[in-house]
Amino acid sequence: MTVNSSLHSDSNQLIISIDERFDFSLHQQFRDCYSQVQQKGLEYILDLSKTKYMDSSALGMILLLKDHVEMYASTLTIQNPSDTVSKILEIAQFHRLMTIK
Amino acid sequence: MSSNQKLALIVDDSKTQCKILTKLLEEEHYSVIEANDGSSGVQKYISHKPDLVLMDINMPIMDGFEAARQIKKLSGTKDLAPLIFITSMDTDQAFIDSVDSGGDGILVRPFSPNVFKAKIKSIQRISNLYQQVKTLQQEQQQDAELAEKMMSEVIESRNFALDRVQVIKKAATIFSGDIQLTALCPNGDIHVLLGDFTGHGLRSSIGAIPVTETFRAMTKKGFSLFEIVIQLNKQLNHLLPADLFFAASFVCISHHEKSAYIFNAGLPDGYLYNDKGQIRKRFESSHPPLGILRELLPDAKVEVIDIDLSDSVVFISDGIIEARNEQGELFGVERFENAATEGITGNNLVSTVNERLEVFCLGVPQEDDISLVAIPCHGWIKDIVNTKPVIPESLNEQDFNRQSTPAWSWHLHLTGKLLKTVNPIPMIMNQINDIEGAGEHWHNLYTILTELFINSLDHGVLGLSSSLKKSPEGFSQYFNERTNRLDKLDSGYVLISLKYFPFSEGGKMVVNIKDSGKGFNILKVMKSNTEQLATSHALSGRGIELVNQLCDTLEYIEEGTSVTASYVWHNKS
Repeated sequence: MTVNSSLHSDSNQLIISIDERFDFSLHQQFRDCYSQVQQKGLEYILDLSKTKYMDSSALGMILLLKDHVEMYASTLTIQNPSDTVSKILEIAQFHRLMTIK
Repeated sequence: MSSNQKLALIVDDSKTQCKILTKLLEEEHYSVIEANDGSSGVQKYISHKPDLVLMDINMPIMDGFEAARQIKKLSGTKDLAPLIFITSMDTDQAFIDSVDSGGDGILVRPFSPNVFKAKIKSIQRISNLYQQVKTLQQEQQQDAELAEKMMSEVIESRNFALDRVQVIKKAATIFSGDIQLTALCPNGDIHVLLGDFTGHGLRSSIGAIPVTETFRAMTKKGFSLFEIVIQLNKQLNHLLPADLFFAASFVCISHHEKSAYIFNAGLPDGYLYNDKGQIRKRFESSHPPLGILRELLPDAKVEVIDIDLSDSVVFISDGIIEARNEQGELFGVERFENAATEGITGNNLVSTVNERLEVFCLGVPQEDDISLVAIPCHGWIKDIVNTKPVIPESLNEQDFNRQSTPAWSWHLHLTGKLLKTVNPIPMIMNQINDIEGAGEHWHNLYTILTELFINSLDHGVLGLSSSLKKSPEGFSQYFNERTNRLDKLDSGYVLISLKYFPFSEGGKMVVNIKDSGKGFNILKVMKSNTEQLATSHALSGRGIELVNQLCDTLEYIEEGTSVTASYVWHNKS
């Protein structure tokens, strides 16, 4: 699996982790991770610690996730992006749109 | 026989077998041709292009495997005429060999007529599906080619100064998500945009046409770069689905201010290079790409920098720095900057960067669109010498005497905070175009209005001194101070009035602009301006001198708080 997700109901977290490449080929898998989750007040964590490559359609996919998160009054955090991925997020100024740590 | 009846080719050295299979195929509404060895099977395949091939394995001259290989080689990926081996060799090896040689199925004798027919049906179903995919793919290809043609011929060929702005553009798929636009402002400044829509191909380019139209139309009407950015963001947010956006860098280069206005939303650093290929400045992305947010972030603003006329502004999309070689390494910022430095020094930026990229990637397929624009900072100026209109002889006294009643007049009284948010010049030009139609002579009027309005706002209402602009770094200081004062502005006004007097072959526009400022010593300023202009390249005051040259009369009254300019033109008939 290149996209993994796990719901921790005790800590109210949904963790989505992506493998090495985050690009358009993951579109469906990525959506499937969250589209059925309708619980409110969750903390969504997008773990990019293993991701080495990310293209602009991945940024688009993150924006779709952000829309979903906002619709269900939840929060989104991007966690542990590698240097390459950080650079891409920084160029797109995504820290102005969501939390990255 | 109907014309769409399918054709089957049976290749078998046993005439009896041929007859049996023919009978069965005819019951399935195939028409049938036969060949009795592999070699003539291949020949008949070439001459008849059948929809289905049934192939025996053991045959004289050429066996079934070899014939299958040749047939599959011929048909390539263009068509899939399914090929089924019919054999009595019920061994694993026969199975493996039949697949290896390109067979799509194997049927081992003995089999019942119904099993045979079922096999034919199933293989035909797959073949139909394949054909359908093929057709769709071709349609898609045609669409992409059409879009590509439209993009390069309609959109980008209409760019301004194609001969002076250097460009690299290599699409990853046929249709590139990158666009490069250049357009001329009414005052001679140039606007350039390099943008990258999310993803690649047709999907990524739905925004290209509206972006192009807006960018061109607003530039032509005299809107500032930032106003254009605001509008594009609004438009794209409305138009694009949530996961599509537009990363773009914008620059407005003003030769006469010796300054550049830059905005980078989501692209890699842009550069200001001097003519020795040294990087004078980097422009980092300061805003998320356009189309994501409904409004730009509150602190969004253009960066203003002072330029030397020998400098160039260079923008790139991420395709260049993310290009990979066989080892998976990125081309990277450093390699790009080195190539750019060498290219600028050698006066061959485009070919140097291209060569470096090719040598580095060595034929590894390109993952993303690659584009670059390089814009020289000089030469974006209108020649103001001798542009003062000659009062045409045919303009008789009668014309002048009729001035007392204008054909129409127009007034705008802008106050306080509105002076920060409203740019009245495009509004006025729109009014004029709506009433009097478009025309070349309005370009000069645009310059006159812009200069006079900016003077009244800056020196009148805001009380800025133009002496700030005199040092080489002055312009950006001046601009920042201007932004500060505009932010705090809550009183003051500018009143603009226009009166239009048509002549038999031309016309006259009388512009009056009055501001709430303290005024200035008119004589002193005009005199020192003229002296400066005569001896050196003055950075300030050039505006008024320009207006003076364009106008028939230009008069400051009421201690410099009110200016009346009269612009006369003659219709070239």
